[in-house]
Amino acid sequence: MPDIVQNPLSGLSDTLVERARQAQPLVARIEVEGRPARSGTFWRKDVVVAAEQAFARVEEAKVMLSDGSSFAAHLAGRDPGTNVVALKLDGTPDPAPFTDADPHPGALALAFGADEAGVSVRLGVIHSIGPAWYSRAGGRIDRRITLDMMMSGREEGGPVLDADGGLLGISALGPRRRVLVIPTATVEGVLEPLLNKGRIERGWLGLALQPVLVPEGMQAEAGQSRGLMIMGVAKDGPAAQAGALAGDILVTLHGEGVSRPAMVAQRLGPEAVGQPIELRLLRAGKVLSLTATVAARPSG
Amino acid sequence: MSAPSRLRIAVVASDAASRSRLAESIAGSGHEIVDLTAAPDAILTDCAVDSSTPAPVVAIGSVEGEIAGRLPPDATGEQIDAALRAVTAGLTVRGPSPTNRKFGPLAEEVWPVLTPREIEVLAALSDGLSNKAAARRLGISPHTVKFHIESLFKKLGAASRAEAVAKGLRRQIVEI
Repeated sequence: MPDIVQNPLSGLSDTLVERARQAQPLVARIEVEGRPARSGTFWRKDVVVAAEQAFARVEEAKVMLSDGSSFAAHLAGRDPGTNVVALKLDGTPDPAPFTDADPHPGALALAFGADEAGVSVRLGVIHSIGPAWYSRAGGRIDRRITLDMMMSGREEGGPVLDADGGLLGISALGPRRRVLVIPTATVEGVLEPLLNKGRIERGWLGLALQPVLVPEGMQAEAGQSRGLMIMGVAKDGPAAQAGALAGDILVTLHGEGVSRPAMVAQRLGPEAVGQPIELRLLRAGKVLSLTATVAARPSG
Repeated sequence: MSAPSRLRIAVVASDAASRSRLAESIAGSGHEIVDLTAAPDAILTDCAVDSSTPAPVVAIGSVEGEIAGRLPPDATGEQIDAALRAVTAGLTVRGPSPTNRKFGPLAEEVWPVLTPREIEVLAALSDGLSNKAAARRLGISPHTVKFHIESLFKKLGAASRAEAVAKGLRRQIVEI
């Protein structure tokens, strides 16, 4: 028997310290005049990504990297849909390469933020993993990853690593301050268009919708028991121009039944902009078919 | 008891420029700016203040510590005046959360799905209409309105019209 048995807690603790040390070069501190400093993730040479909702109406910022170097940065593009903002810097070194992570519920996750003295660290488990989901602003997020931890607004947008040091993505604060992860693949997917065009265009119909039961007498004709009631129509929006009215019940979009808002969001990705789309509606006991031309979602 | 119209305010700022900005922001409210040691009624600051301060604090922007009044950096002179009076009266003041957090998933079916008629009746209830007035608006009998209200109560788990409206308002309408 050895005299000293390694204390497993010390072992865990040492590993966490080591992970924090490895993660530090990925963490960027973003300063905007008159606001508290925010966190970002040093994604690649000359590019830092952060949480879009933390940078409303911001154009210029100062970014500090973990080696103490400081850069002027401008906000090259923002996407409220995925809560990603891309900051362009000039003359940074290459960041340390990171490996992808494969998330599992219950696995440990570490979220990092920028702090006065370096990095701040949060530890928690991956609370749940789900399929792709759609945000209120129409963004498609490749996987739903929620973390069991608390987080302040200053830390949002920093990197989230798994126990092996793989990059799960960047943190985002959702409703009730739930901590979500915007997966690495989602960030990669929006980054080029953000750097080149400044935004991601997504389809928009100009409708306010609420799930509703299709009246019993109409269910056979509609082919489904649920639909989406039109609660409002944006003036001069695509749906308004096609003739949709508040009170209509949307049952199919492009021939496919829609009973949940996500089913509509799914049909309104960037590729839908400018395309015609067929809306089948229930109005005054009759089925009605309209064709709208999908527009780009107005920003803001 | 009515609050004195003129308060004694100590201004604690990180530098001279922000000190004059803070002083300016309350100049229109007619308060007297006094020294921290001169028994102020309240303290206005934009930086960390000693926790043993002699009076309640109103902080502009993000300031650490237990602070009676917190206001966003773009607070107006009226808001600062109102916050100073409130903390002097022993109240706690919080401005709207500094970032307008909008990010989150599309609302999915967290609630039982209503029928179109139930949605219309709920809208009438939230406008404060009586059963009779709702019936007139919707062109149905008051008896039918009552029937839909009972169904709404059951679906939303509400015991009163006010509760049904409150719960119904939380149903998210998705803009797409």
